Amino acid sequence: MRRSIRTIAAVGAMTAFALTLAGCSGAASTDSTDAAAADEITIAFVMGAEADPFFQAMKAGAEDEAAKLGVKLIWQGDPANYSAETQIPIVDAVLAQQPDGLVLIPTDPTALQASVSKAVAAGIPVVNVDTHVEDLSDVVSFITGDNADGGAKAADALATQIGYEDGGTYQVVVGLTSATATTNVSRLDGFTAQIEAEYPGIEIADVAYSESNPEKAATNVNNWLTRFPDLAGIFAIDGTNASGAAAALEAKGLEGTVGLVGYDAYPDNVAKIKSGVFTALVAQDPAAEARLAIQTLVEFIKTGETATEREVVIPNVVLDSSTTDADFAKYTYVATK
Amino acid sequence: MTSVSQTTAQSAQKSTLSSRLSSLGSNQSTILVGVMIILIVVFTVLEPKFFSVATANNVLTDWGSVALIAVGQTFVVISGGIDLSVGATIGLSGVISAWTMANVLGLDQTVKGQDAAVPLLLGTVVSVTVGLLVGLVNAFLINKFKIVPFIATLATMGAALGFSVILSKGAPIGSANDFTLITAMAPNWNPLSWAVLFVAIVIVVLGLFLHKSRFGLYTYAIGSNAFAARAAGINVERHITMIYALSGALAGLAGMYVYIRLGAGSPSSGTGRELDAIAAVVIGGASLMGGVGRIMGTILGALILFTVQSGLIMVGVAPDWKKVVVAVLIAAAVAAQTLQSKNGRK
Repeated sequence: MRRSIRTIAAVGAMTAFALTLAGCSGAASTDSTDAAAADEITIAFVMGAEADPFFQAMKAGAEDEAAKLGVKLIWQGDPANYSAETQIPIVDAVLAQQPDGLVLIPTDPTALQASVSKAVAAGIPVVNVDTHVEDLSDVVSFITGDNADGGAKAADALATQIGYEDGGTYQVVVGLTSATATTNVSRLDGFTAQIEAEYPGIEIADVAYSESNPEKAATNVNNWLTRFPDLAGIFAIDGTNASGAAAALEAKGLEGTVGLVGYDAYPDNVAKIKSGVFTALVAQDPAAEARLAIQTLVEFIKTGETATEREVVIPNVVLDSSTTDADFAKYTYVATK
Repeated sequence: MTSVSQTTAQSAQKSTLSSRLSSLGSNQSTILVGVMIILIVVFTVLEPKFFSVATANNVLTDWGSVALIAVGQTFVVISGGIDLSVGATIGLSGVISAWTMANVLGLDQTVKGQDAAVPLLLGTVVSVTVGLLVGLVNAFLINKFKIVPFIATLATMGAALGFSVILSKGAPIGSANDFTLITAMAPNWNPLSWAVLFVAIVIVVLGLFLHKSRFGLYTYAIGSNAFAARAAGINVERHITMIYALSGALAGLAGMYVYIRLGAGSPSSGTGRELDAIAAVVIGGASLMGGVGRIMGTILGALILFTVQSGLIMVGVAPDWKKVVVAVLIAAAVAAQTLQSKNGRK
């Protein structure tokens, strides 16, 4: 990460010129919100990858709550790579600033354990969000969305869309990002378990990887549509796969014919629920996770204890054509302005 | 040239069937077409549905974006360079033009049919301009600071990716394309779509440009021996600038192609595509040492790449194995060419 930042800085001036000509202003994201009082509480928030709208929505929630409670927020993380290798030095640098508390989204349970232990030894309480380190006794609380439950809900939504009846046979496919992304794995596990338990007539005919490229996700869907002419539905396991699958179905005029359940409430995909391309989108609530994490830490720092449970699971919600506009507004991943 | 004179000499010696076949085999494009036919037969045997117009459309749709950057890469590689920034440039140009179309040109889901034409056309101009500027930055780093192309374009690759993430905050910028934009990708000329047809025309023009113009001749000359080219009075720096600008502009055009395909500009929509382009160029018979390469080889190389990828999904190869199979095929293709050119020199 440091190396890439240096590279970006070195060439940044020249490309910034290009951006200016193209009429765009690249507003660099702020590392911290301004704070006035010197004796106020400082909370460091180290997340996974800035490029992911999921973390952008989380940032909006964190900044909102920090402003409300009057705490200083240090928001940090790698711009694009979700990896322990780039995250560990960031956590170390943040701890050197001696914050009063740390919210950490560990990119690897084992690799980040040492950093958490170090923070605790220095008297800095830690809350884990989304993912957790191996030894949960070190953290005040672990707040997460339920990916396995989200996968199960996706199975339900897809079965409803394809009009599942016992005795029928249906083929569905799953678009993944990679074999190792932990959220992908637990969503797929939840999806598979639910299908085996409730919908024995549904066969998961194939899975493929998009490698984080939406065009590759579209390619996978194109080929599936040729290989399985009677394809009943697609489970696009994250935002990238959802975007690619939607485009592929639209290009072949199959939107609404082939069921499509996506994940993550990217604004563009939410709009496509209304136009009938998506049967449903499973959305997490990263802003709520961030808000609760900050509340918990502030309470713990002030009183030495917190009312928040050691493990909090914030359920995923299903957005579909019956969702109210208020809920669409609430769950769509909105970045800070 | 040499292969033609060899062929004549050989057929003078003994005009047998085998010698005629081997003379056919010394033609790069013939080999690649042969490989294509073998692949199609194998995949069709394993999965009869593979042999279909729909598959041809799938492969050609994928081919479109990579063919554009691979043709640009062919110019760069023949000149003795390499351009690693093209994948990230697809993302950056797509994001900036999508942003411009949505925020400046007012392209949203209320814009329908023909009304979308003007913003899309202006968006294309923006996209190509962004790509061109990235190419000029590459050329500036290479000419002015004498940074080797591998490092210079690696740096712009990182910068382009960083800026596209900053601008888009990671999310695709789209307009929920209610304006039937995507009809450009529909197989109206089955298996061809308007977009693929457009790409094919661009490539024919650039093929003629490389193989019939003085510009093309200079490109080969610089790649074969930059010192000799300079001694012969070629303005090498200016030529290098034009080549990287061309490669960048084509990446910008590919950015628009992907925008039209996905209905959105996303920072990750070019992820890894520079490697696909380089693979296509190498399978097509170009030498990374410079001075050697043909447009026809590159576009067949890209076709082979996507035929394999489509075929592997169609026959149901587990996704973990796909990368391995593609890697082995690339190595085999290059090894076969190396052996063949050694035999040709005997």
